[in-house]
Amino acid sequence: MLRLRAEAPAGALVLKPILEGGEPHPSGFAGRPSQVLELHPKLRWVGADGASNTPQWEAVGAACLRAAGEAPRVAIDARGLPDAVAVALGTGAMLRAWRFEALKSRRTPGPRRLSLLVDAPDRAAPLWARAKAGVEGALQARELVAEPANRLHPREFARRLKALEAEGLEVEVLKPSQLRKLGAGGLLAVGQGAAEGPRLVILRWKGRFAAPPVAFVGKGICFDTGGISIKPAAGMEKMRGDMAGAAACAGAMLALARRNSPCPAVAVLALAENATSGHAYRPGDVLTMLSGRSVEVIDTDAEGRLILADALHYAATRFKPQAILDLATLTGSVVTALGTHRAGLYGNEAALGAAVAAAGEAVGERLWPLPIGEAHRRDLDSPIADLRQCAPAGPLLPDACHAAAFLREFVGLLPWAHLDIAGVSEEAGEEGLAPRHGPTGFGARLLDTLVERHFEDPHRV
Amino acid sequence: MLDIAFAKPALPKAGGLVLLLAEEAPPTGLAATLDAAMEGGLVRALEAAGFKGRKGQSVTLWAPAPGIGKLLVLGMGKEGGAAEAEKLGGAAAAAMAGEVTAMITADGLPAAEAASVAMGAALRHYRFDRYRTTEKAEDKPKLSKLTVATTEGAAAKAAWGPMKAVVEGVFLARDLVSEPPNVLNPVEFAKRCEALSALGLEVDVLGVKEMKKLGMGALLGVAQGSINEPRLVVMRWNGLSKGKKASNPVCFIGKGVTFDTGGISIKPAGGMEDMKWDMAGAGTVAGLMAALAGRKARVDAVGLLGLVENMPGHNAQRPGDVVTSASGQTIEVINTDAEGRLVLADVIHYAIEKYDPKFMVDLATLTGAIIVALGHEHAGLFANDEELAARILAAGTAVGEACWRMPLGDAYDKQIKSDIADMKNVGGGRAGGSITAAQFIQRFVQKKPWAHLDIAGTAWSSKDAPTTPKGATAFGVRLLDRMVAEHYEG
Repeated sequence: MLRLRAEAPAGALVLKPILEGGEPHPSGFAGRPSQVLELHPKLRWVGADGASNTPQWEAVGAACLRAAGEAPRVAIDARGLPDAVAVALGTGAMLRAWRFEALKSRRTPGPRRLSLLVDAPDRAAPLWARAKAGVEGALQARELVAEPANRLHPREFARRLKALEAEGLEVEVLKPSQLRKLGAGGLLAVGQGAAEGPRLVILRWKGRFAAPPVAFVGKGICFDTGGISIKPAAGMEKMRGDMAGAAACAGAMLALARRNSPCPAVAVLALAENATSGHAYRPGDVLTMLSGRSVEVIDTDAEGRLILADALHYAATRFKPQAILDLATLTGSVVTALGTHRAGLYGNEAALGAAVAAAGEAVGERLWPLPIGEAHRRDLDSPIADLRQCAPAGPLLPDACHAAAFLREFVGLLPWAHLDIAGVSEEAGEEGLAPRHGPTGFGARLLDTLVERHFEDPHRV
Repeated sequence: MLDIAFAKPALPKAGGLVLLLAEEAPPTGLAATLDAAMEGGLVRALEAAGFKGRKGQSVTLWAPAPGIGKLLVLGMGKEGGAAEAEKLGGAAAAAMAGEVTAMITADGLPAAEAASVAMGAALRHYRFDRYRTTEKAEDKPKLSKLTVATTEGAAAKAAWGPMKAVVEGVFLARDLVSEPPNVLNPVEFAKRCEALSALGLEVDVLGVKEMKKLGMGALLGVAQGSINEPRLVVMRWNGLSKGKKASNPVCFIGKGVTFDTGGISIKPAGGMEDMKWDMAGAGTVAGLMAALAGRKARVDAVGLLGLVENMPGHNAQRPGDVVTSASGQTIEVINTDAEGRLVLADVIHYAIEKYDPKFMVDLATLTGAIIVALGHEHAGLFANDEELAARILAAGTAVGEACWRMPLGDAYDKQIKSDIADMKNVGGGRAGGSITAAQFIQRFVQKKPWAHLDIAGTAWSSKDAPTTPKGATAFGVRLLDRMVAEHYEG
């Protein structure tokens, strides 16, 4: 969908990023971000002033796409710019060009065939191939997140993940009967109210050296009604995206496969629908988790941590990974804390946390560390079970910290990072790398970059 | 305040006794003396109780020797240090509340830690009981004098001097925060600040007329719904320049909403009584200035308190109003309950114009969002200056007033763009609520080194802590005093 070329193909609309105005243009165009100047029907200048790092150049690439309007064929003119900048422009353009069309009976207008004009396409090709794998991972995640819940229930989600075998991943799907045998009481309880039972899906990438894998764990709630602790109706349709963590992990695995990463990796994805029914689990229920611990349910809408707890324990005990990262649209609290520009980062090891945060900065998926305090853990003491899943309802609860404190109980002593992506899984603004209100795929590129930066040296592990 | 004395170790003739014992070590010093007086009874009792001197272990004995009423033995654990010494002092004061006098042994501790024991005890002994008129005498705590037994009495006493001034600052802040809002309105608050001139502080109070002249439309807009007039209190401590003109002082700015109903954007009734402590930032700054003056800190410091009451009177400001701040920037008021930032905007501008500060730290019970983000163990720290932020974090850790750094950034700043004015006072609903509040304040700091502490989650404690009884904590007094002591005294 994007090709490297030296010259614009016939009929393409050329978009040229302009860094500095130089001589002021009589139109007033000075190269400022979000400025666009139509020079003639097939050439537009796009303001790029101030762009100095990869995420900023990606934003310019996305701005070029926005400036293209409904033109079907566009070429981004990166000639004269370094290859790394050109690739960032292409990355931003490709991410911004994505739209979810599977359910439209007519194709939506807008750019379809993209060209990236560079001085020497052959020279830029390897760099582009690397970037493209990450982009494809993010787009895979978006496709999954965008799917409505009547189409993408746990069984269908698992089926689509199974299809990743064609990419060289090993895929195992554990069905409810197998989960019962294992004793995955958290995942089973959350999924028990839905017509389609829960699944635990394991994706494995062998890599090229023998070492404990890096493990990704994703929350995959295909739809979240809240269960018996039901959510308010307004905005509930967004809960089809409550599986964005699992989708991001799947996207990251695809990226590793596409670029043939040497690092062994595994993803454990907990898939369930949190439905209301006569069979649904209740507030007050006590669950026996996969780890054997008992958990008192306070709020059935705090279901994500229950399925993650089982998935974390499964990943930790079966694969003994060198590091374990979980991604989840987990709490509204993190949105109150950090808004829609950063995801919350929690963990038990400063070095891993710093590496994760740095990978996020590199791809423009920004994080901010938040604490797990002693009081947060104390708040989870239960009078009837080993711990409770969240604090009893009250005003102004630090629920994101409580959730992180809960998850920490299930990772043992492994280096662990938890990304609460509830505020960033959907594009909030007009100027992002995804269409407004569409899924961002947040996390897929971050994990791919983290692996590339920190886990691909066989001598390090 | 608890009367503190330091004396050579000798068994007291009356009152309570607290022994601090090291982990897995036989009793020494005064403990050994007592054990001898009890004919080995102390060691036997500790063994029977399984006492090993571990942190958190304690044993209580009654009338262990002639004259001594209550004996408390506390384990010191292995950590040591000032913070642990304070906690032991606090635990001792709480346990000895029923004795009129008590002695605590610090004979195994360095002089500075012996003073820290005293500090912990004094801090814990605080009680705000001005309005309890029918409480029976036997229900009141009796402890009035604590003797710290140490072989280094002179050194410990010297260390205690400045600590005592800080404790007094903490108590002032706690008193102010605890006072009910019908008593402590802006005028009364300012009056109490004026009384601090006895400590050598220069105190100026600006009224409505002066503030109007300065164009403080943001602060005055908040105040206009109440019959209680606003005040701006400026307290100067010229500990470095003395009589000469102070240059580039450090500035501390406090939000002092003596009661916050929310105004026209009125708050829900449940828990609204807590809003009497929406002046904790200003209370803390007052306490800090008292501490600096009380210990004659070698620093030029200015404390500025924006004091208002946010009421839904007939003249109250409305959502939709546009006010012009002292800086000239205009603000669209979207929510009248986001009033603290309006007050701070004008006070910060005044601080910059009048004092050209070296840096500014503002303290405010600003947002509920910071409680949702962090809970009650950390205050939110926002800063535009890395050195200042690092110093605040370190000082907070040292005195047990922990802060957690929170982000700022253009993306958040965009959320407070207004369609009609230079900015609006809330943006983006609840999302990132404490960050957008900090962004709002940052628009008034003119790129001066600045830090903002959102203390909404830490200003009040719903349960007893080792050195802080339930209620007002005075969070920030000790932290900022420590930061000044470590970095800004010349």
